Amino acid sequence: MSTLSVAPAKKLNNIILQDINKSYSKGDNNVVVHDKFNLAIKSGDFVAIMGPSGLGKSTLLHLMGGLDRPTSGHVEIGGQRIDELSESKLTRWRADNIGFIFQSHHLLPVLSAQGNVELPLSLTPLNKKQRQQHAANALALVGMADRAHHFPKELSGGQEQRVAIARAIVSDPQILLCDEPTGNLDRKTADEILALLKKLNNDFGKTIVMVTHDLKAAEYASRVINLEEYIALGVEAQGAQIPQEQQSILVGE
Amino acid sequence: MIKQAIALSWINFKSFPHRLVASAISILSIACVAAVMLGVLALSSGMVKTMERTGLDNTLLVMRAGAVSELQSVMFPMEVKLLSNNDQVLRDKNGQAIVSAEMFVNAEYKKSPVNAQSNTEHVTLDGESLSLRGISQNTYLFRPHFKLIAGEKFATGLRQLIIGQAIARRMPELVVGKTINLGGSQWFISGVFSDNNSVFESELWADIGTVQSDYRRGSSVQSVRLALKNNTDLTKLAQEWQADPRLNVRLILEKVFFAEQAQNLTRLIRWIGLPIAIIMALGAIVAALNTMYAAIASRSKEIATHKAIGFTPFAISMSIMSEALLLAIVGGLLGVIPLYLVFDGWTAATQNANSLSQMMFNFDISLTLIAQAMTLSIVIGLLGGILPAIKAMRMPVTVALRDS
Repeated sequence: MSTLSVAPAKKLNNIILQDINKSYSKGDNNVVVHDKFNLAIKSGDFVAIMGPSGLGKSTLLHLMGGLDRPTSGHVEIGGQRIDELSESKLTRWRADNIGFIFQSHHLLPVLSAQGNVELPLSLTPLNKKQRQQHAANALALVGMADRAHHFPKELSGGQEQRVAIARAIVSDPQILLCDEPTGNLDRKTADEILALLKKLNNDFGKTIVMVTHDLKAAEYASRVINLEEYIALGVEAQGAQIPQEQQSILVGE
Repeated sequence: MIKQAIALSWINFKSFPHRLVASAISILSIACVAAVMLGVLALSSGMVKTMERTGLDNTLLVMRAGAVSELQSVMFPMEVKLLSNNDQVLRDKNGQAIVSAEMFVNAEYKKSPVNAQSNTEHVTLDGESLSLRGISQNTYLFRPHFKLIAGEKFATGLRQLIIGQAIARRMPELVVGKTINLGGSQWFISGVFSDNNSVFESELWADIGTVQSDYRRGSSVQSVRLALKNNTDLTKLAQEWQADPRLNVRLILEKVFFAEQAQNLTRLIRWIGLPIAIIMALGAIVAALNTMYAAIASRSKEIATHKAIGFTPFAISMSIMSEALLLAIVGGLLGVIPLYLVFDGWTAATQNANSLSQMMFNFDISLTLIAQAMTLSIVIGLLGGILPAIKAMRMPVTVALRDS
């Protein structure tokens, strides 16, 4: 475990969703969320996924983060089929590779900003002093060093989201999955948060996948996927992207 | 894994004040169970100890055949003489058999007007029934732990009595020098005695002749105690006396007699007390379940976030269990400590099922009993925590996050 990597990520963490079917039962009905869905995201990319509610944007994030499993199909990240991992291995993998940023920050009210950011580090072999140092670094990176000992109720919405971002990056995961990260924020604060994400993408090589309804937010991304249009492309067009993407990923484009 | 569980448990403990009311109800219900459980156990333990301290190993208690208590028995002088003549009975240096024939009656206090003409203050106790034992000089030989701790022994031929210290403690108004109204007669308290905290300390002792005459029993007695030689074969003795047509008796070692009484009493206490404790325990389990379900329901997003961060479901469930365990331990201590501080050694009175009179004994709260009550509390906590812990473990992260 290192402190937050300053150099762009060396390891490739390409995200590939292939032939994804995802459905769930609701009463007597079987609701199909995704049917033969294909998507590839290059390591180090900043992708915004947009579209109306109910298309399964968050479900895609959950599949990429290993919080959910596809009914069928492959979820491959960094060359590893995460849909085949056992629950305990998936949990461990998630702790090492994924940082989640939610619309509601989900900070623990009983812990200070520092405590919240330190929390994921309790999954690592770091000692107390090292954990404190890592958390302080992450807080400094998001501009919250002077609020380290404040509790969530003492922070504004934007500050809470910054702390949540610090928590997401403190273990130095390669991939950040953001579900409406600016949904609860005013424009100015939202822009600050988006700029921060952009910085994490540019300066630290983090792969960022962001679900958003906000067109302005999508402007920060290097690639925008309008899910409605993307799905309308059809199975073949989506699928056709995969080999090409995989090929370009493999040659490091 | 353990490290994760400790980290999450610590967070749960920190958020305790947010769930104060629900947690307090749970703690209180567990405290009540622990207290009732400990109370029942201490009660029966105290009784057993009191009974166990009563009676000597080589003392044979003889009563009328079929009598389960001294109260139900009656024996006549001829029988006492026949029993005393047996070779197995020890004799003193004068060749006299060491035998104690004793009267045993329930003496009832009746509320009577204070005699204004008398200088003596009357103590009137309404509805109390006390054991009055008529004894002779020989009786003291069978009570090696007897000790006069206040006043003096009663005078023969007078309505005087000495009272056991258990009664003296429970009824502080009964002091040496007072006259009490007993069965319609006035009895003078001449002294207070101790007897190794045995059942006898719950009795009043007086001269057997006076008791016989006061209760119009002629020369009959209730029981006979005989000091036996060490090598006495009880079975043989019983056969010998059964074969004698002049005798119709039941014989039992005094130690065994009181041990059996202790068993009967403790069985009674446990039959009544333990079902109550069990019903309360079920209630406490429900309260703990409710508290823990509410705790995880209010923290579903928090739990989902922990899972998303990478905490294992097992560590999360362990943290829920540790919270339930904490509730149980705090509840258990809250029930046990005050009971110990207030009631350990406290004298309680009950009706002796066999003699139908008051019997005093001490609550005996030992470490073993405390451990038993605490174990029950912990079991309640574990049972109350396990289902919510499983629920937390299985809680789908995506649903909880979507709800937010």
